[in-house]
Amino acid sequence: MSSSIRRVTPIVPSVLASLLLSLIAVSSPSAASFDLPPLNSPASTEHHAGKMVWADLVTPDLAAAERFYGGLLGWTFQTVHSGDPDYAIALAGGVPVGGLLQKPIPAGEHRQSAWLTFFAVHDVDASKRDALARGAKVVADTKSYPHRGRQAVLADSEGAVFAILASSSGDAPDYLAAPGEWIWSSLLCQDPDAEAAFYQEMFGYDVFDLASDDGLTHLILSSDDYARASANAFPADSRRRHAHWLNFVRVASTADMLDKVVAAGGRVLVEPHVDRHGGLVAVVADPAGAPFGLMEWTAGDSKVEPQ
Amino acid sequence: MTLIHARRLAAAFSGIGLLILGACAVTGVGVDGSVGVGYDAGYYEPYGYDYGGWGGAYRVGPGRGGDRRGGGPHPGGAGHGYRPAPSSRPTPSIPSGSRGGSRAR
Repeated sequence: MSSSIRRVTPIVPSVLASLLLSLIAVSSPSAASFDLPPLNSPASTEHHAGKMVWADLVTPDLAAAERFYGGLLGWTFQTVHSGDPDYAIALAGGVPVGGLLQKPIPAGEHRQSAWLTFFAVHDVDASKRDALARGAKVVADTKSYPHRGRQAVLADSEGAVFAILASSSGDAPDYLAAPGEWIWSSLLCQDPDAEAAFYQEMFGYDVFDLASDDGLTHLILSSDDYARASANAFPADSRRRHAHWLNFVRVASTADMLDKVVAAGGRVLVEPHVDRHGGLVAVVADPAGAPFGLMEWTAGDSKVEPQ
Repeated sequence: MTLIHARRLAAAFSGIGLLILGACAVTGVGVDGSVGVGYDAGYYEPYGYDYGGWGGAYRVGPGRGGDRRGGGPHPGGAGHGYRPAPSSRPTPSIPSGSRGGSRAR
């Protein structure tokens, strides 16, 4: 027995050590290369809870998405991770505006590519707890990325999916989005009152009920005395009523963009029309079906200055 | 098993412990498992949005500020409605300053 132990004991740790070294060798390249850039550069301590600060597109064809958005909006792309998954950062005029994630559509499921909206929070874990207590569900649990911060993906009580992000580099200052950047986010839902209450509790929004000509509820959600988003009842004739966030990119001319959208393989979902601010908006879909909005916004001053 | 063998065994398992810690550090797996190597924000929506009925009167964008207010929470929102901003406050607009401009906040 004693001699048997002498023969075996030096071998067992060696084998285990080899296995662990193999584990390190296998896992480290993936970890090292998936390095999200900071949200805000240079870093600051500025935070704007409830502000849309990022968007991720999940798409089955990253190269096609880059061609579409690059051709349409002039975005450039920086590959952050190659492999499983492929992920690229989209830049508008050199400013990071979102990420493009290639992911296969689950086999046997009829799913659609979409943009995921990220809202700034101070504390992801506390915000997640608050959201769950108010009927939200976790889509992707909290996770930290070294230079990005901590984030989670949730679905609100109506099923609209959104993400919360506590940026470790602070949030960008408030400024008017340049053409090619995200300028607005709208929630389309069954019950805007309840949804506004949900997001008000999460982000501390001020809520403004707007008079409307269509007889439907339209609410402006604001923080820091800036309008951040809107919550809207579904259009009257809408048959498929799956709550979702819809983001708008600022463009110089909505009408001029539509031919480009179609030529690049996209579709026009809502024809251009004048929105509340006096500029044209439209809703389009990229070749994979991900919807997003186009919004003109002339740089005229707002009537109301922040208090 | 002799004392020497026991020491060797202890040293070997201490080394393994260090390797485990090293592996965690390199792979980014924290004690709560919340720091990962992948990126799992990708989410596919149920297929097919319907934008029917979104006509010219249907408006979802921000105004230029000071837009006409509605009547507060609707009757259907009672019980789960939001707290409306004071009626004395005008509806705000989006930021108007340029990047790095003096009025940007």
